[in-house]
Amino acid sequence: MAHGKTAKSSGKTFLEEVRHMLGGETLASCYQCGTCASSCPVARVSERFNPREVIRQSLLGEKEEILFGDALWLCCSCYNCQERCPQKVEIADVFYALRNLAIREGKMPNIYSEFSAGLMSEGKIVPMSKFLEKKRADYGLPPLKPANMDTLRKILSATGFDKLKKKEEPQ
Amino acid sequence: MCGAFDWKISSFFREGDLEMAEKKEHESKGEAVQPRIGVYVCQCGLNIAGSVDCEEVAKFASTLPDVVLAQYNRYTCSDQGQAGIKNDIKEHKLNRVVVASCSPRLHEPTFRKACEEAGLNKYLFEMANIREQCSWVHLYDRASATEKAKDLVKMAVAKARLLKPAVEIEVPITRKALVIGGGVAGIQAALDLADTGYKVFLVEKEPSIGGMMARIDKTFPTMDCSICILAPKMSDVGHHPNIELLANSEVTEVRGYIGNFHVKVNKKPRYVTKDCSACGECAKVCSIVVPNEFDVGLAIRHAIYTPFAQAVPATYLIDMNSCLNKNGVIVCDKCMKACERKAIQYEMQPETVELEVGTIIVATGADVFDPSTLPNYGYGKYPNVITSLEFERLINAGGPSGGRLLRPSDGEIPKRVAFIQCVGSRSDRNGRLYCSNVCCMNTIKDSLLIKEHWPETEIYVFYIDIRAYGKGFEDLYKRARKEGVVFIRGLPSEIKENRKTRDLWLAGENTLCQELYRMNFDLVVLSVGLESRKDSEVIQRLLTLSRNQDGFFLEAHPKLRPVDAATGGVFFAGCAEAPKDIKDSVTQASAAAARAGILMAKGKITVEAITPIVFPDKCKACGLCTKVCPYNAITLNKDLKRIEIAEAACGGCGTCAAECPFGALTQGHFTDDQIVSEIDAVTEHDADKKVVAFCCNWCSYAGADFAGVSRMQYPPNVRIIRTMCSGRVAPKFVERAFARGVAAVLVAGCHLGDCHYINANYQTQKRVERLWKKMEQSGLCKERLQLFWASAAEGERFASKIREMKTLVESVKPEEIEKAKKVFEKALGGA
Repeated sequence: MAHGKTAKSSGKTFLEEVRHMLGGETLASCYQCGTCASSCPVARVSERFNPREVIRQSLLGEKEEILFGDALWLCCSCYNCQERCPQKVEIADVFYALRNLAIREGKMPNIYSEFSAGLMSEGKIVPMSKFLEKKRADYGLPPLKPANMDTLRKILSATGFDKLKKKEEPQ
Repeated sequence: MCGAFDWKISSFFREGDLEMAEKKEHESKGEAVQPRIGVYVCQCGLNIAGSVDCEEVAKFASTLPDVVLAQYNRYTCSDQGQAGIKNDIKEHKLNRVVVASCSPRLHEPTFRKACEEAGLNKYLFEMANIREQCSWVHLYDRASATEKAKDLVKMAVAKARLLKPAVEIEVPITRKALVIGGGVAGIQAALDLADTGYKVFLVEKEPSIGGMMARIDKTFPTMDCSICILAPKMSDVGHHPNIELLANSEVTEVRGYIGNFHVKVNKKPRYVTKDCSACGECAKVCSIVVPNEFDVGLAIRHAIYTPFAQAVPATYLIDMNSCLNKNGVIVCDKCMKACERKAIQYEMQPETVELEVGTIIVATGADVFDPSTLPNYGYGKYPNVITSLEFERLINAGGPSGGRLLRPSDGEIPKRVAFIQCVGSRSDRNGRLYCSNVCCMNTIKDSLLIKEHWPETEIYVFYIDIRAYGKGFEDLYKRARKEGVVFIRGLPSEIKENRKTRDLWLAGENTLCQELYRMNFDLVVLSVGLESRKDSEVIQRLLTLSRNQDGFFLEAHPKLRPVDAATGGVFFAGCAEAPKDIKDSVTQASAAAARAGILMAKGKITVEAITPIVFPDKCKACGLCTKVCPYNAITLNKDLKRIEIAEAACGGCGTCAAECPFGALTQGHFTDDQIVSEIDAVTEHDADKKVVAFCCNWCSYAGADFAGVSRMQYPPNVRIIRTMCSGRVAPKFVERAFARGVAAVLVAGCHLGDCHYINANYQTQKRVERLWKKMEQSGLCKERLQLFWASAAEGERFASKIREMKTLVESVKPEEIEKAKKVFEKALGGA
């Protein structure tokens, strides 16, 4: 394997890095039984995603493959795998940890950039459209109030969210 | 163990006499009786030297008072190391020896023996635990570990200076054994002991012996017929002149101690006398039908029945829960009329049998995991999902289906069978964390049994890892593969049933190909794991045993005393200790029998000289000590206004000494001044940064050792003082520690109810509560005194407690230390 050596040298640190992140703590308990993959509704329809494989790659320290591949972003967060994992690996939470790591490394899928842009400008992940406003009216829901942007910006800046965005901008 | 005996009052411990003799001996040689201590710091290869500077510790030891020799060596426990100690005792006239090495629970007997061989009384030896409780738990902090090791040596030397020689009394051993549990392990142990010539009582809860092995069809890896090899052994038990079989019976009470156990057994009535010839005429006429437990409910039996054809004792019995005759009201006497030998007695009563035994073997076995707790596998809901034990009964020629593997839903022979491994094993979520040891090979054997009868059957085994570790196991695994059994790595996440056909769909991932599968089967066998008996708590309490986190009984040492319980005279055989196969159970049973035999062959045993020492001039005959003694070994002689101690009945907990308000009682080898000297040694420097921990020998000290063995790291500011029981910890010890400025004190013992001295730790709790009250009233933070229960298996809990206490220590302010010093300053008076 070409990446064998790098996996070994950088592997441990990557595994440690994930394990020290919120959600990543339980990663190393995995014994690759496949319960997650067989419980996964995404894996059932797409060969591009297999949660067991992502966990295995994390354990082997295959950082590049994980962070720059798209599997990571295909998890639909249904938590089926996490409910069933016999070793109590918090699989879906591990994915969140890995996603955070990927974003820190500057890899953010476009859709997420759009989400964050929406959050920064309007305080909404999904932008309001005429269509949605009409739907709300049809359902008898009151029109949405604009978000308190001053407070929200403070929060986003205090949590470092705005910086994540900035880092992403040059791309 | 429990209770009071009518012991003859034996003579007091002759410590004074011995001391006199020692004095005389020295005086005759023209020497003063000044302690001459030799200190040996063991490097234990790199086990200790890896994180402790042993040379520095030895150098430090040489500066301590009365130390005439201090050295470090590679392996003090080696022959060479021991020879060195023996030589030094003679050459340097050492009269005390301190070894700083591993836990005294491991090598104290070794070094004591070496001292004795050199003519030094073994009670003049002391150990400092710088491995399990120092080097192994502070692997990455050499400086602190070395400092701690110095402190531990200082404590040991301080105690050694005050050690006194002692003689041990001998008590006779009853040359009879009790075996609890009549599975294959219990059968083997009973036969071995009986063949050696000892009387054995074999107590079995069920109506017949045979246990789990009697239910299994074939055994792996040889494919022997299970009952065919077991039945002759069962019959041997039934006929052996040295074995008294008490089937349908349960142990209800155990009192006494090693060599002298008094046991009560509740013998449930069979309602059928020994005259029964097992002709079976009675069962033919019985109109009651209930599920047969032996066939795991797959077949029926009558209210009068024998569990299975080869049952021992062969006598029938009546299950009064299902019989129509209840509470002496007879509404049906069909069986009685059918019995030619007049063997049926509806009015039979339970009896209590009292036994006197010297040793006890616990062979209580294991339960199988109940998979109905796993909703995704549908056991209990889908008829064609069965357990491996049900499979055994179905494939067994003596079973309900006559050996034909019938699908429960329609009675058809299945064409496609799936086995799912690790059901209830290796799971942190559903079932148990450990590997159950037997299921892989059992499944492989089962798959071959199907292939043997119906070679066309398609068999799939879904597994995580196949563990074919034993002799002949890999061969069997290969045979199964050659026969066409398909092994797929990846457990199904769920089973779905086709409601019409009752066929089953398995969905999972083949992890080796990264392929999701969805496969159809006629029958699914869940390979269920083994778990500790649901009622093991009863035996645990009766014999004051410990269990590990998995619920199985804990052995005295995992490598070197694997069949001994920590409780003297008690041994383990079979699955009671951990899941194991038949061969291992039999091996362990023979080992347990041999271990019990060694004890009984000697005929007598010495009792450790840790019994109480009385100072009659201080005794006010208040009788407080007699009330706290768990063994009723102390009696108050009101006429002579003194207490009398039955040494042979004394368990050696020392809680009497902790209770005495006048200092008229102390415990041999754990005297007040010895323990105080240890406290003083700890608190000489930097007391305000330290934790003094009193740990009982059996649970919390062993738990601390376990943390070491598992290399669980914790802060190095704790100093452990070992007592036999937490009940020994007198309030004045705690007060003295605070008076000398210690930041925090930990009193640790066995869990309440698990005390090795029956209930002595309840006294601990009372005393600590009293101290808390006093601390509160004096405006001290009572958090600084912690009470903690930890079992020998709870290393991680111990380690996290110490971590937690570090935060506590850091929060204690200097003025609080000073305040505590003042509040408890009275405790500084002479010990």
